[in-house]
Amino acid sequence: MKVRIDKSACVGNARCWAVSEELFPLDDDGYIQVEEFDVPPGMEELARRGARACPERVIEIVEDDA
Amino acid sequence: MTEAATISEAVSRPAHVTDAVFYDFDLFHDPGLVADPHQRIIDLVENAPPVFWTPRNGGHWMLIGHKANFEAARDFEAFSNEMVPHEQLQAILAQMPPDAPRIPMAYPINLDPPLHGKYRVPLQGVFSPRTINAIKDSIRELAGEIIDQVVPRGQCEFMAEIAEPLPVKVFLNMLGMPLDKLPEYRALVKAHLSEIQPDPSKAMQRLQQVAAIMRDTLIERRDNPQDDIISMLWQVEIDGRPTTLEDLENYGVLLFIAGLDTVMQGMGHGVRRLAEDAALQEELRANPDLISDATEEILRRYTFTVPPRRVARDMEFQGVEMKEGERAMLFLPAADLDPVEYPEPDRLDIRREGKAHIAFNAGPHRCLGSHLARVELNVLYEELLARVPSFRLDAARPPRFHGGHVIGVEELNLVWES
Ligand code: HEM
Ligand code: SF4
Repeated sequence: MKVRIDKSACVGNARCWAVSEELFPLDDDGYIQVEEFDVPPGMEELARRGARACPERVIEIVEDDA
Repeated sequence: MTEAATISEAVSRPAHVTDAVFYDFDLFHDPGLVADPHQRIIDLVENAPPVFWTPRNGGHWMLIGHKANFEAARDFEAFSNEMVPHEQLQAILAQMPPDAPRIPMAYPINLDPPLHGKYRVPLQGVFSPRTINAIKDSIRELAGEIIDQVVPRGQCEFMAEIAEPLPVKVFLNMLGMPLDKLPEYRALVKAHLSEIQPDPSKAMQRLQQVAAIMRDTLIERRDNPQDDIISMLWQVEIDGRPTTLEDLENYGVLLFIAGLDTVMQGMGHGVRRLAEDAALQEELRANPDLISDATEEILRRYTFTVPPRRVARDMEFQGVEMKEGERAMLFLPAADLDPVEYPEPDRLDIRREGKAHIAFNAGPHRCLGSHLARVELNVLYEELLARVPSFRLDAARPPRFHGGHVIGVEELNLVWES
């Protein structure tokens, strides 16, 4: 599973970070620091919850093809 | 005064407003809204068009559906936060006599991108989750002190005795303002609140007073920085230049407008629900870990701010014709009760999964103080539930509400066994 984030549309409200500081690190101003990454095994549900929490809906989950 | 007299006069309907998008609703004085705000808002969600024009208060658009609000909030080129375009306002200010008192500007809430970002970014770090988490314990201590004063009495008027002093004290502490300014500041907050539909010249004077109260402290912190927000703001840069006394006054006024009344009303709506919902109180007392989820769901169920916008060009928005210069209200309370986004929207379900709410709006102006607001609400619910036994509304003195841009609770009388 992959996470893809439209970084330029992040408004820095850290809802994703509140779900997982590890998956969704923020920069010093509070904006999302990462753009695209592979979700480590076992953290898929956290990644999904983080994506759902984003009020701007800029975090996209790319599921692996079955 | 009779109810009919308080409703504003209707203006005549412009030709481009069709029957299908016409709906008569007074955002400030609608009798249903004032009687029980969110009940009336559910009624609007069910029965009013998702985008409508009302002839009240000078005539304006109301965006009701979630989709309309979410899109308009992000489309700052079509929906401007500059109620008077920035350049026009600068031109007006330039006409003022040079010795006229300066009018503080609540940048960045009244600016559009890209200028907006220059004034917002410096604040972003100051109100980041990290900074706010560091002061959580001090907020808890304040909340505890304020609540303990009323516990033995078995009753209180929640708005005046808890919801108003707590955010004001937190605010003065964070800014690093001396506590002897508290009475003056509270008086200004009260005056600000008592005018739901402010007279512009009085509102301007009040902002000048807010700036005046802060000025000594601002200057003092410039020369002797401490561990507080004013000192931090002297150290940030706006678009590569150091901040000035004018910038600091502007920020002070911005935070006064945006961060006090809002938190207070959030507490009011939430505690009203708790007082009417003994089962919810019981569940949260037994499982305090659920309180942060409850805080979120209460924010969704009882979203209460209504940011205004200026239609920046003639356009068709979601099938509706709008004209440049018209006003549009982002009616966020209805957006968060849209059944398309939140099934069974009127149910308060603290285990609700799914879409994030937009009580703090979306897009470039999304609330900068949302972390602080969440911590204040969370701590208040935690401390209230821990310190006050099962509380309920005082049947003899029912709650009173008001409409407007911050839909709020006027009076909330609680009782409990002491
Ligand atoms: C529950 C409490 C609160 C609610 C519901 C709330 C809601 C909002 C909303 C809806 C906006 C967007 C306005 C617009 O789109 O024009 C906003 C902006 C803002 N809020 Fe809050 N707010 C709350 C608490 C606070 C607090 C505690 C602070 C201060 C520290 C604060 C500071 C701000 C600022 C500075 C802006 C302007 C941001 C910008 O224009 O970029 N708010 N708030
Ligand atoms: S929740 Fe969305 S908008 Fe907020 S910081 Fe994370 S990515 Fe950015």
